[in-house]
Amino acid sequence: MKTNFKKIAKDGLITSNPTLKLVLGTCPTLALTTAAMNGIGMGLAVTFVLICSNVIISLLKRAIPKEVRIPAFILVIATFVTIVRLALDYFLPDIYESLGLYLPLIVVNCIILARAESFASKNGVLASATDGLFMGIGFTLALTTMGAVREILGSGAIFGYKLWGFSIGFFSSSAGAFFTYAMFILLFALITDKAAEKSRIKKSAKIGDFTQTKEAK
Amino acid sequence: MENKLIYSSSPHIKSPRTTRKIMLDVCVALLPATIIGIIYFGLYALLLVALSVISAVVGEYVYLLAAGKSFKEITENFDFSSVITGLLIGLTIGTNYPFYAPIFGSLFAIIAVKMLFGGTGKNIVNPAIAGRIFMFISFQWAVGAVWLVPSIGSIYGETVATSATAVVDVSKGVVPNISLLDMLLGTGMQGCIGETCKVALLIGGIYLACRRVINLVYPLIFIALTGFATVVICGFDFSMFLPSILSGGLILGAIFMATDYTTTPNTKAGNIIYFAFLGILLAVLRYATKMETVSFAILLMNLVVPLIDKFILNKPFGYKKSQKTKGAKL
Repeated sequence: MKTNFKKIAKDGLITSNPTLKLVLGTCPTLALTTAAMNGIGMGLAVTFVLICSNVIISLLKRAIPKEVRIPAFILVIATFVTIVRLALDYFLPDIYESLGLYLPLIVVNCIILARAESFASKNGVLASATDGLFMGIGFTLALTTMGAVREILGSGAIFGYKLWGFSIGFFSSSAGAFFTYAMFILLFALITDKAAEKSRIKKSAKIGDFTQTKEAK
Repeated sequence: MENKLIYSSSPHIKSPRTTRKIMLDVCVALLPATIIGIIYFGLYALLLVALSVISAVVGEYVYLLAAGKSFKEITENFDFSSVITGLLIGLTIGTNYPFYAPIFGSLFAIIAVKMLFGGTGKNIVNPAIAGRIFMFISFQWAVGAVWLVPSIGSIYGETVATSATAVVDVSKGVVPNISLLDMLLGTGMQGCIGETCKVALLIGGIYLACRRVINLVYPLIFIALTGFATVVICGFDFSMFLPSILSGGLILGAIFMATDYTTTPNTKAGNIIYFAFLGILLAVLRYATKMETVSFAILLMNLVVPLIDKFILNKPFGYKKSQKTKGAKL
């Protein structure tokens, strides 16, 4: 069986973007996007855990009995989350501090569990690793842009660098988190729908061209 | 004009009252408060009100144009509800707000709260209330904590005089040393542009009641229950009754914001429950948060309206409670 890496990449980034299309991992998305830096930190931590757990679970997919697969997945995920926590605490204490509680909560992050359940436990090692990588990148990009928008509007800064004194406090409050999230989902759906429509028209136009030329003849 | 036969489902009765006419009536009713607000607070108040109205109307036009409607079509169907939203947003901020605050507030109210939910009559919360809360949350850094300092911490939050001596704390049960007449006329008080002069607001309310736009009983339930609930909370101190009614944005909120058609229940009983709960909620919130909470109380109750409409239904004509089901239950 040949694996379609392009499709996996497109799935992770666009068609089933974990944050903006599947609406998974909402809790860290809403709580941590007050700053763009948080988005990058959280996104990379999740990406690392996602790749590693996907690889291990896809290696163990025949060894894990179906009945106890969820506890087994959690065990694998928790191992990597512990590694990330300890590493961040040692190397990047600032980010460790600002992510706070949400770092250990990666263990129960829906994205990782969902990918383990629906992808890694059914696919090969390389495909699972790619899936983890692109899902993670999709999550990171969504969180970082959301964080950047909320940081610019809510505190007039970007990556902690002060731009101007003007700010709309609504966007750094939790109500603003829900509002921004909804707007992002809306815009993303608008853009992807339009792109899908365009490619559909393009496809049908190719067929249409053929019939038209036939008729003209 | 060519088709004299009209095929349509009920209702068939036509009335000259259109949404546009009703909304224009509300605009007229808000005029006295606006004018007095501008007299009290100067030309800067006029600027704030004008900016909020203009940006509300422009916001609606831009949204509809982006949705693919033609300019002419929008102007023909333009009801003045966005003008009201803009006016109310302008009237519920103080002159210490920066000039761009009402612009953002109006745009948020019109685009995010009204148009995204489907336009006039489909919004789940009152756009003006949402816009006001948006500004309240967003621009505190520019306003300074004038309304929020815990020392002001009184139910009279917004309309208390600037001098520290007038600061009162409801939990101590102290009556403010502003005379009731001053509160009624709004002279010598700090507050929002439109809410200080109670007389002007009441004139607007009576005008609306005469034009049968609103039923004045419901706002009165709201206002009276706020007073009574405050009295009860303060340990039956009846001297709190009038100050609690005349302070803050209660009368403005009760007459012009809580009575919004789309965000009130459909039935009579539902309306009584809605306004009664508003009053009690407002008194409790004021007591608990020590600041002015009219807009928050109305926002919260707006969200409950669908529930009230679900559980309190009009009895259909000729309806009889079936005896069988009763017997079966027993």
